[in-house]
Amino acid sequence: MAYDLLLGSEGKMEFLLGNEAVVRGLYEAGVSVAAAYPGTPSSEIGDVLYKLSDRIGIKFEFSTNEKVALEVASAASAGGLRSFVFMKHVGLNVAMDSFVSLSGAGVKGGMVVFSADDPSMHSSQNEQDNRFLGKFARTIVIEPSSPQELKDYIVHAFDISEEIGHPVLIRSVTRISHVRAPVRLGKIKEKNEWKYKKSASLVLLPENAYKAQMSIVNRLEKVRSSKYNGILNSVYGDSSTLIITSGAAYNYIDEAIQMLNVKARILKIGLSFPLDQEMILKEVEKAERVIFVEEGGPFLEEQILSLCAIRSINKKFYGKINGSIPTSYEMDVDRVAGFLSEIYGIQFQTKTQNLNLPERAPVLCPGCPHRATYYVAKLAMKQRGIKDAIVPTDIGCYSLGYYEPYQLGDYCFSMGSSIGSSSGFTIEAKERVVSFIGDSTFFHAGIPGLINAYHNNHNFVLVIMDNYVTAMTGGQPTPETTPPFKRVDIESVVRGIGIKNVYSMDPYDLKNSLDTFKKALDSNELAVIISKRECALEVDRKRVPSEAKVFQINQDKCNLCYNCVKNFTCAAFYVDEGRVYIDPELCDGCSVCSEPLVCPFNAIEVKP
Amino acid sequence: MVSLVLAGVGGQGIITVANIVGKAALIEGKNALMTELHGMAQRGGKIVVEVRIGDYKSAIIPARSADIMLAFEELEGARNLSKLKESGVIVLNRRMIHPVSLTLKIQDYPERIVAEALSKYKTINVEADQIAMNLGNKRVANTAMIGATFSTGLLNLREENLITAIKESLPEKHWDINMKAFEQGKILPAFETAKVA
Repeated sequence: MAYDLLLGSEGKMEFLLGNEAVVRGLYEAGVSVAAAYPGTPSSEIGDVLYKLSDRIGIKFEFSTNEKVALEVASAASAGGLRSFVFMKHVGLNVAMDSFVSLSGAGVKGGMVVFSADDPSMHSSQNEQDNRFLGKFARTIVIEPSSPQELKDYIVHAFDISEEIGHPVLIRSVTRISHVRAPVRLGKIKEKNEWKYKKSASLVLLPENAYKAQMSIVNRLEKVRSSKYNGILNSVYGDSSTLIITSGAAYNYIDEAIQMLNVKARILKIGLSFPLDQEMILKEVEKAERVIFVEEGGPFLEEQILSLCAIRSINKKFYGKINGSIPTSYEMDVDRVAGFLSEIYGIQFQTKTQNLNLPERAPVLCPGCPHRATYYVAKLAMKQRGIKDAIVPTDIGCYSLGYYEPYQLGDYCFSMGSSIGSSSGFTIEAKERVVSFIGDSTFFHAGIPGLINAYHNNHNFVLVIMDNYVTAMTGGQPTPETTPPFKRVDIESVVRGIGIKNVYSMDPYDLKNSLDTFKKALDSNELAVIISKRECALEVDRKRVPSEAKVFQINQDKCNLCYNCVKNFTCAAFYVDEGRVYIDPELCDGCSVCSEPLVCPFNAIEVKP
Repeated sequence: MVSLVLAGVGGQGIITVANIVGKAALIEGKNALMTELHGMAQRGGKIVVEVRIGDYKSAIIPARSADIMLAFEELEGARNLSKLKESGVIVLNRRMIHPVSLTLKIQDYPERIVAEALSKYKTINVEADQIAMNLGNKRVANTAMIGATFSTGLLNLREENLITAIKESLPEKHWDINMKAFEQGKILPAFETAKVA
């Protein structure tokens, strides 16, 4: 059984993904309740919890969005249980309202909020550093550096949280959550008993909120003098140059200074808000110069420089604020060695080479129903003479519609933003507005926008691309998934708002879908198309390999019109010396390309 | 201390291979780190995975210091050559997956420029997909690549530990066919450079 190794006994070493180590940490910490909305690079935590929850005694749910998930977890904590909520960095923006309040209310059972940040934006719309949001909300902020620390610090974080009565934010990043390393398993703690007691501190009316402000200050003060500073911070090396670092950035420093053949004293901070001021200042005072190496913003740097200003400590400081260290993108050994070499004043050159190779842009999978939807959408607009439609799109696999040849997607900010922005565009735009959103994103943040659009008489076409899963993060369930959950029907939700122009279609049926699109485009009020077809990867996972059909091009019939590669553009097609072929290893067998609307010459046929 | 970079296209089972190598190292009592990058696409996007065996903290390999590259796809192998040291070895799966950006423009696969880039290194050509097709399951091509990589002698891992790691990573019903793929991958042609088309 996959993931059984997470249940191993104390002392065992396993080769674990950071996100898997997180789940083991929850098990060891005696967590009772966890909730999340999937988001990369945190997604695997949910995948593992979803499969293991019964066996490790954690009640886990995929909630409709991060704010709901945080509230699910915080209520469990109010009942004395240890609870956990996890999300990608931008998910914390969605949860922010309740996150800030949580800090004021405090916690009973330990509560940890886990944020997986994505420096360099491997799969995100920004690289915000959520340590700043933790400090803004005045929660405790803890930063692990490795899968082992992810697991160990989660256990410590629950202990601190429960001891102080305050929430903890753990900040991971892609290069910790998505790193695999040996992890030594620890002891499993008992879970807390349910014990809910009514308390004014949980009702943040002005009278109580006023008191809460002082209790935040008191709780944070207790953290400063706690034993956990000694556990989570460490310092080593003998040099008058002090490097203060944390998180993933720490991993690159030893190798970089070795590469440069220089010395440094390294202060690694694991408890990064509130800081252990006295210990840090003692180290700074001993040093001649101080270098801050952090991934993200100048989080430690700003805090420590303001402390130094108050204490009139003047050293040579190097970091993001004085421009010595880049402010964006993730670090690695070469980058760290690069800027350290300038500070140390020695020669160093990264050995790179530039090959001019064609790009491989991300693509929709072979068989993806979104491709069929986009193909038909383009065709319908062309047939209706609409050349300049404004096309807000949203967060999901279908964001790839932005790329050639579909180029459907010219405005995309955040979860649900397609629908809100569509309303805004229709106010003055002369252009037709056609927008796209996925099923899971619709449930997450699309519904308020759609109510707004209907209520305020905005006229656009909304296409809800319903593939029954949260596909881009690896196929997690949505509110449509059954059993054992209750199924929420998208069409009923849309009709329940009062919208009359609602069409359901199967995108694989190109002819009918084309007619549907044209009807929606002709409408003079808000129209919603629900394009329903299961994610091709989910179908593939359930299918017996021998049942899969593969298609090929009949070269005698092929007229070389190239419509299939230029406009339908399945990733399984390729061109060799001017002729079109289908890569049999990539073909999904969906058959959509063999429809006359893609190949009018009937040249695409099942391979015998 | 061995560093490997694995490059290819989403869906080729690259992460599984890296995971198996890391596990085998752990079985031998060595430290191993692995980091993976895959973009937005679930399938068909470019994938890079790095594995380092030895006393490292950084999973990301510095430029020009990987000992071995496992290129599951030729263009993606070429794209990541800046990780490989000059004396490094490429274990090259003879597989071309055409990028959509070229197909759209009715262009062929960039065979010549890829082969030229790869030809600067010692290269072992492996027909991993062919081995898998002959065995009747295209999904075992990646296990053939493990066999080939083992045969280079550069991994510095014992065969039985790799086999244990393969078995720990796969359901028992797939063991037989994967062992066959591993054995056939082990049979290598002599070192040769990639053929310029």
